[in-house]
Amino acid sequence: MATIHNEIENWLAADLHGELSESEQSALHAHLVDCAACRKTHHETKTMNKILEETLAHEKPDPAFERRMLAGFRNRIPERTGVSKVLANLMRLRATQITAVAAVLLGLVQIGRMLTGENAAPLPSRENYTSEGFVAQPPQAGATGADQSTSLAKSDELTRGRSQDLALNEPPPPAAPASRSELDKEAAARPMGLAAAKVAAATPQNLARAEQAEAKPGETPAPAQANRKLIRNATVQLEIVSFDDAVQKITALANEERGYVATTSSEKQANGKLRGTVVVKVLPENLDRFLQKVRGLGELKNQTLGTEDVTKAYLDTDARLKNAHVIEQRLVDMLKTKTGKVSDLLQVEKELGRVREDIEKMQGELKYWDSQVQFATVTVSLAEKEMEEPAAFLIKERSQLALYAPDVEKIYNDIKALASQKVQVTNAQLNRDYSGRVSATMSMLIAPEESDAVITRVKSLGRVENFQTQTERIAQGGSGMSENAKTKRDKVELNITISREEQEQAFQQTSLRIRTSSVDEKAKDLRAVAEKQGGRVRSSTFSRDPNGRELANVWLRVPMKNYQTLMQSLDSLGKVENVTVQRQDRTGTQIDEANAPADISIQVYSQGNIVSHESGLLATLRRTLAQSAGAIMWSLRMIGVAIAFLAPWVIAIVGVIWITQRVVRAKR
Amino acid sequence: MDASELEQYRAAIHGDREAFEMIIRTHSRALFAIAYGVLQNREEAEDVVQDSLVKAWKTRWRVRDAEKFLAWLATITRHRAHDIFRKRRAVSLSNETIEATESHPADTTAIDQQLHSALAALPEVHRTALILRYFEEMDYRTIENTLGLTNGALRGILGRALASMRKQLRPALASPD
Repeated sequence: MATIHNEIENWLAADLHGELSESEQSALHAHLVDCAACRKTHHETKTMNKILEETLAHEKPDPAFERRMLAGFRNRIPERTGVSKVLANLMRLRATQITAVAAVLLGLVQIGRMLTGENAAPLPSRENYTSEGFVAQPPQAGATGADQSTSLAKSDELTRGRSQDLALNEPPPPAAPASRSELDKEAAARPMGLAAAKVAAATPQNLARAEQAEAKPGETPAPAQANRKLIRNATVQLEIVSFDDAVQKITALANEERGYVATTSSEKQANGKLRGTVVVKVLPENLDRFLQKVRGLGELKNQTLGTEDVTKAYLDTDARLKNAHVIEQRLVDMLKTKTGKVSDLLQVEKELGRVREDIEKMQGELKYWDSQVQFATVTVSLAEKEMEEPAAFLIKERSQLALYAPDVEKIYNDIKALASQKVQVTNAQLNRDYSGRVSATMSMLIAPEESDAVITRVKSLGRVENFQTQTERIAQGGSGMSENAKTKRDKVELNITISREEQEQAFQQTSLRIRTSSVDEKAKDLRAVAEKQGGRVRSSTFSRDPNGRELANVWLRVPMKNYQTLMQSLDSLGKVENVTVQRQDRTGTQIDEANAPADISIQVYSQGNIVSHESGLLATLRRTLAQSAGAIMWSLRMIGVAIAFLAPWVIAIVGVIWITQRVVRAKR
Repeated sequence: MDASELEQYRAAIHGDREAFEMIIRTHSRALFAIAYGVLQNREEAEDVVQDSLVKAWKTRWRVRDAEKFLAWLATITRHRAHDIFRKRRAVSLSNETIEATESHPADTTAIDQQLHSALAALPEVHRTALILRYFEEMDYRTIENTLGLTNGALRGILGRALASMRKQLRPALASPD
């Protein structure tokens, strides 16, 4: 077999080491029988194996090797004892690990809550709160409020109990009225008693509902108890079309409801509209119906309904009154017996007077209350529609303009001279700044009929720019529109600013160059041309450089209307070049275009005729060389900068790598 | 590798000291063989095994796969042995003469000397495989596991190792027989 022969060494080794399967063994032995070379190798290998076994047996570790290893290990890694061992063992358990992680997470969450200030466990308390709020009952219900249904049941019981109490407390009708005030009281109580009977028939649940509804105005049934002294008041604010109509209707309504109009007051506004109040007294049980009807009269703006309980004060006063009656009777008896000294009698008389005064006062008080209780007071405030309509309009005119003139001071004085009774100069200011420029601002108030004439006069004094007029209509005594309000013109306000012409910004700016051979001459011609066209030379310069080049700069200002002709006449002076025109369109301002100034800056120049020594081949070469040397120096400098920038980084990185390598090697 | 063995490795990785000591009992000889394969010196090899065990215990958490625990242990041992070997060479350059006399004790026979030099001439894997086989009489599977070899590679390695030993020792072999 070729494979066995080729790999005879492997086969032999495996055979000696007992790693051949049976079939492999028989194959090997069959080959060894055939092949002499392999037999020889087999023999040698066997010997080799034997030597190895014998020799290496000496080198083998002795039987105590493991014990030594263990002892050395224990020596170098001492075993943990006691608590730490228990802990270490515990931490090995999966369950412990999970618990620990959970605890850490929980701790983190708690810390987070503390940091953010979130309140822990807010839910149960909120539940309590809602149940409390819903039931709105005595504290013990709130305290046990965890179970809502039980507390609800409790509250139900409670209301039932209360209604029973009410029924028990219902007093029998007053048997024998002692005085007139008592009678009055009963009369007032009768309708209430009717209502009370109705309520008594109702179920306790209904009663509870009615109690709740008491808070709402407009739906209240008559007071539940007959002996209550309740004062009911209502105020209504209405917007109506006609005041008089409304008052009539209210009177009719009051009659319908067995009431009356107590007072009426009205007030006329500047714009002819009426505003006023009507006080109506109606029977308390008809109050709600009356209010409903009144509301239909116009647009309701506001309504309030109030009830004041004066029962306690009333009963107190009543009791005191009875007491006073008794004292009075006793004093009268004392006078009747007529015994004792005169001074004593006088004393009794005096006392009797005081007591009677008290009685009268108390009776008056009771009467007042009775009247208040008997009738409910309704205060109706009425206002006619479009109350805010203006009574008159004022037309205010405001104008402003800018004047440009050569002599500011003269115009300033001219305008000041315009002042008269109908023209008031309110503000006049003449400014001269550090460079000697003069400007002025003026404000004047002009009577309406004079305004047009004055403004025209002012405009004629100089060049006008940016004339603006604003008209404003101011409503007086109200706002909005009105058809029949009067209109009045107020004084016209005029604001003027006066500046020198030079300060005016040119409407159009032109610059051009003229090439010519005789600069000086042409510059003079130019001036003559400009003057002919009504222009002014603002400044001019002349210069000649060593190369024979001549240069003259002339700045001109002409009115726009002469601009075109001037430009045409310039052509005769020389070759016109580089004409640029710039115009500033000022939006929102009025400009008198024909007279607006146009600036022209003209450069007259001649070509020089001397060749510069800075030209020619040598000069060019020299320049080029100098430039390239400069470029090389520059790049050298840049390289230096780059190196200086990078070097520390390179050194740092190399150092870190070197240290890391050392550390890694030391660890091995 | 059976399940109980795997469980033992896992426990050791998780810090079970008893499991680790059991591993020391069962596998320290193999580790010794590896160290000896590199160093061919018993005292040094023993020290290497001892150091490696301590280091393995300290860094046991680095092993993610319990199946590779044994191979990892072998790697630590081999690295440690190499370190010692390098140090020894550095020392021996200065003390060559002393080393020479010490490494050949008087009582060793000629064949022993030849055998050792032949062993030293072998590639490391071959030498270690041979030593594992002859020290511990390990079967091929276990040796392969310990050295991290693939299935069936060991047969060739041992075959070639034996053959080259045989060729080197042929003159010596011929004489005693």
